Parts: sequence; C-alpha cells; structure tokens
Amino acid sequence: MEENNNLTAERSLEIIRESIERSQRTMNKNSAIPLIWWGLCVVLFSLFIAYLWKNHGGPAWNMLWAVLWLVGYAGNWIIDKHRENIPTTFVGKVIGHVWSTFGVFCCGMGMILGFIGCGMLPMELIMPKVCVFGCITSIISLCFGMGTTITGLVIRNRTIQVCGLLAGLGGFFGALHFTGHAQLYVMAAVALIGLIVPGVTIFMQNQK
Amino acid sequence: MFKPLDPLLHSELRLAVVSLLISTEEAEFPYIREQTGATAGNLSVQIDKLSAAGYIEVEKTFKGRKPCTLCRITPAGVKAFEEYVEALKSYLKVKTK
Repeated sequence: MEENNNLTAERSLEIIRESIERSQRTMNKNSAIPLIWWGLCVVLFSLFIAYLWKNHGGPAWNMLWAVLWLVGYAGNWIIDKHRENIPTTFVGKVIGHVWSTFGVFCCGMGMILGFIGCGMLPMELIMPKVCVFGCITSIISLCFGMGTTITGLVIRNRTIQVCGLLAGLGGFFGALHFTGHAQLYVMAAVALIGLIVPGVTIFMQNQK
Repeated sequence: MFKPLDPLLHSELRLAVVSLLISTEEAEFPYIREQTGATAGNLSVQIDKLSAAGYIEVEKTFKGRKPCTLCRITPAGVKAFEEYVEALKSYLKVKTK
C-alpha cells in the first residue's frame, strides 16, 4: 500500500471497510484453532475414559480428566506460540474470559467432587441435609453450551449460537438419561457440537 | 457543503493504519505491516506522523528477548477518525443526489 493522498470518498470508505473486515477475519480465524483443539481433547478423553471405565475398572479412571487440563494447556501454549500476529481486542478478551471462567468452574467442580470421591472431603459438605441429585455431566454440558453461545453472540455468528444451544440443552437433558460411563458419550457429543463444529465453522468462514 | 477532510488521515496507508487500530485495543508493528502490505520503512514513517499528531501512541517494549513495537489509537485519534467519516458522508451524499 503506497502513500496516496488523492483518494476519492469511495476509495476511502473501501479502505476503512477492507481494513476492519480483514482484521476481524484474522482474529476470528485465530480463535477457531483453540476451539478445535480443546474439542478434540475432550472428545478423545471422553471416549478413552469411557472405554477404560467400562472395560478396565471403574469410575476411578475419571482422575484422567486432570491430565486433559495439562494436555489441553500444553497444546494451547504451542498454538499461541505459532499462530499469526493478532492484536488485542475487546472481543478477543471477552471470549478469553468466558472460556477461562468456564475452565475455573469446571475444574473447581471436578476437584471438589474428586476430593469427596476420595474421602478427603465429607459428602455432607455439599449435600448437607436435603437430598440433591447431582449430575456433573449435565452441569458441564450446560456450561459448555453457555460458553459456545456467548462466543457466538460476541462474534455474531448464528451457526455457533445454535451449536451452543444444542450442546448445552441437549447435553444437560441427554446426560440425565444415561448413567456411568455412558454419560461420557454424551460429553463427547457435546464437545463435538459445542466446540469442534463451531471451531471448524469459524475457520472455514474466515479462510482468505 | 463539503466538510474538510483531515489531510493526515486522507492518505491510503495512514487511513488503513487508523482503521485497523480503531477495531483493536493495540496491535504490533508486524501485524499492521502484514495487514496493510506496506514496507517496514514506509509504515514506520507514517506511524511517526500519526504519533506526532497525537492520533496514535507507540510503545517500544520487549516480547521475551525480541523488541516489540505496540501501537494503539488515542482518544484524539478516535475523534479525528469519526470526524473524517462524517466528512466523507457529506461527499457521498452529494454524489448520490
């Protein structure tokens, strides 16, 4: 682009529109890879843990979820290092905060339930006197769906909003119909619809 | 009646730089170079002009061990951009009449 001072009004508007659109495309495209990566991690871990749970022991294999966070963050760090130069934007920060909050809530919930399962915390701590039916897969699916829907709203993408609704509500009610390792198949489906499909959609839409 | 166009923004490269920065909080020099397709020397000169006018802030910092130049738009830059777009509208209105 050269320094040209003889611009027409139309050319000026075209430059403004092109610059903003190009910048938006780059940011959207770069937000797709982490979504696909985390989606693949959740799908593979869900199926792997479900297999181990069913064939080689019991729910103790759920401890492997802690490894997911390690693998996920290591992959994310590599993706961040190799991705294109992208600027800091309000939209990027909002999406980052939404998914960080999701991670903190799911991690916190998983840790508390894990400690209770191991006997390190008393069951009465979370279920004092009333009988509560808790299904962690339902709750995590709902959080997934909300994260995806908010991402779709922030980047104004209808497909992602619909994927978020389907993953969140479908996963919440779907998980209630299954028990044991079968719930992990629901988790895999939720990650496929709530993370991988939106990630691939963003990536395809923003290819130059 | 045509409104006057800010001569500092009425340049292809400077307008592209400000348009990029308007939609971001801050951007690194290589990103702006990639997006505008300008040469490093030319871009540097134009960024200096915008910075001297108070339209953008330039911060020289480090990213790990590598030097990193960060650019961000200032409130004066946002105001100038808004006025430029308003002025453009007056030209377009005349043409569409």
